[in-house]
Amino acid sequence: MKERLSKIPGARVCASVMAIYIFLVFAFHFLAGEQLLYRQSRENIALPVAQTGVAELTQDIVVEQIFSANIQRFETVGVQVSTAYRPNYGTVTMELINQADGSVLLFHQFDASAIEDGQVLTVTADTPMEGLYGMPLLLRLTADSVAGSAVIPLMNTEIQDAGGLYVNGQSVAGTLCFIASGEEYIWTGIHYWKFALLGGILLAVLLAREVRGYKSGKYSFVLATYFAVKKYKFLIKQLVSRDFKTKYKRSVLGVFWSFLNPLLTMIVQYFVFSTIFRADIQHYIAYLLIGIVCFNFFSEACGMTLTSILGNASLITKVYMPKYIYPVTRVMSSMVNLGISLFPLIIVSLATGVHFTKAAILSFYFLGCLVIFSMGLGLLLSTSMVFFRDTQFLWGVFSMIWMYATPTFYPESILPEEFRFVLTINPIYYFLKNIRLCILDGISPEPISYVQCFLIAVVMLFVGAWVFRKNQDKFVLYL
Amino acid sequence: MARKMVEVNDVTMQFRMNNDRILSLKEFVTTALRGKLKYDKFTAVNHVSFSIEKGETLGLIGRNGAGKSTILKVISGILKPTEGSVKTYGNVVPMLELGSGFDYDLTGRENIFLNGAILGYSEDFLNAKYDEIVAFSELGEFINIPIRNYSSGMLARLAFSIATVVQPEILIVDEILSVGDAAFQAKSYARMMELMGGGTTVLFVSHNLQQIRDMCSKVVWLENGSVKMFGETQKVCDVYERA
Repeated sequence: MKERLSKIPGARVCASVMAIYIFLVFAFHFLAGEQLLYRQSRENIALPVAQTGVAELTQDIVVEQIFSANIQRFETVGVQVSTAYRPNYGTVTMELINQADGSVLLFHQFDASAIEDGQVLTVTADTPMEGLYGMPLLLRLTADSVAGSAVIPLMNTEIQDAGGLYVNGQSVAGTLCFIASGEEYIWTGIHYWKFALLGGILLAVLLAREVRGYKSGKYSFVLATYFAVKKYKFLIKQLVSRDFKTKYKRSVLGVFWSFLNPLLTMIVQYFVFSTIFRADIQHYIAYLLIGIVCFNFFSEACGMTLTSILGNASLITKVYMPKYIYPVTRVMSSMVNLGISLFPLIIVSLATGVHFTKAAILSFYFLGCLVIFSMGLGLLLSTSMVFFRDTQFLWGVFSMIWMYATPTFYPESILPEEFRFVLTINPIYYFLKNIRLCILDGISPEPISYVQCFLIAVVMLFVGAWVFRKNQDKFVLYL
Repeated sequence: MARKMVEVNDVTMQFRMNNDRILSLKEFVTTALRGKLKYDKFTAVNHVSFSIEKGETLGLIGRNGAGKSTILKVISGILKPTEGSVKTYGNVVPMLELGSGFDYDLTGRENIFLNGAILGYSEDFLNAKYDEIVAFSELGEFINIPIRNYSSGMLARLAFSIATVVQPEILIVDEILSVGDAAFQAKSYARMMELMGGGTTVLFVSHNLQQIRDMCSKVVWLENGSVKMFGETQKVCDVYERA
């Protein structure tokens, strides 16, 4: 068996590709954890706008709200109450009852004297409750307070269709200001192993095809890329190290600038913006730094690839090598800088109390997508730059607009509804959002986010590479 | 019959020259709108065909602007011909201009690796040949200082040493034998002869007819982009000298 294997060309490469795939499948399953299976239900009931109080919740008042929610794993229910700006006393009891069998699902008592005005009293199940999907539920509020020192549940008088609000059994027009939330299953997550298996089979088929192509001497795109990488590895290494060595060659602090740059930017922006935005964002310093590091990489990589063809004109007209080497090395040089600037990011995050979880590792996936995206855009820009030198000035303005359109230093919530589209059409926002989710919230994004980011990145790379390839033979005539 | 190493089949190279090169989008749009976007075509190489066999040294002669350098660039793969094709069998090392790809902030040592990589050498090869390169360039201690401090002669010596350390199958040389002082010129000449003796196929451009007569077995005489004459060195050179 072993002898037969060694006769297949590239058997070791194929085996390692498969091994890496299997490793990634398991690693992803481990790292993504619960977020692979469940997400916040899209059917969560949001808090209606409070318009008036239902009634003073004294000992002879029972407030009941009937509702049903299409939540697969029910977790939390809550009610907004008012204190009428006075000290209250007694105990408020909140119960969630399954109307089908009368069982009490959730039960909690609150000390009325500790309740603040407008507070949403919530009770969360220890483990998410299944089987309540679409079932009629009853949320009941009672108390042992006396009039004049009882809290008042709030209600909205316009929403009628929630299921019915009752006070002492009497129907009242309107809806209680309540929330209900939970999780739902993700279809792709449930079938994860099937997808993984399918992917594995697909990969094996592709590998087999490549091996056959190699034997018959017909190099496919993948194979040609593989050999090109092998052939030009040393050259790329030399060019990257050249970029790196010359960048800081005659500066005193040298490579420390890669370290200091994001930190200094962060400090400046922190002083400028912290009073405005700090309250809205948890871990504002880390939030800021992630934004700066990512966007700096993006603008540096694009700015450097932009001039990669033009700047190497003397080489291109004298020596033959594949033209894509130039933009690729520039992006890789920026990657080195990105790698270095991750250290201050990690250190500062730890120092400001960000709790890293295993999900933080997943942020590398989105960083990878960002790199691929920058590469694609860089190829496009470098091509355009050869034919129209205006590109660099246009790009200067455009990248500035892009920076302000990306929530690097501000929370995305400050954008008014009519400008939300700025985020939805901004590819960098998707990468950034998910990186922050992985690091700051310590949870994995939904599976769909991975596909989304991958597609954005790959489409950009494809477009850039296609345009570059189409025009590369003409470069030398325009330099 | 000896193996063919380079085949140039009916190669034409045209450059598009607009009256004034348009390099900005605004200019492009405005001139295009005015309908004044016209290009003059300049044919640098016009239906040129020849071939070289293994071990031969082919000289290219002709006046300035005859298309000698263009054809070398086409053979090196830097330019893609407008028409026709070039086939090369074996690795091509072009020495069109010495030291292209040098980075003046790096030391001589770093540049040996950088320039070597650009010329397509492998890491192991460079590690093995490093001492030989330094010895041939006669740079000694200076190899460890940034090359912006080098004299032009030192730069040329370093570049020549890197370029000729290989035994390429096809070597393309554009007027580079006149580098350094007399002693180094003699040394580089000897090195070239050594390469040719080792079976390398050489394409060689020079205005020094004596050099051509000494080194080449065949000569292509180009004039205004076309082949005026192709044949034995002696014959072509005699006609060329009389012209």
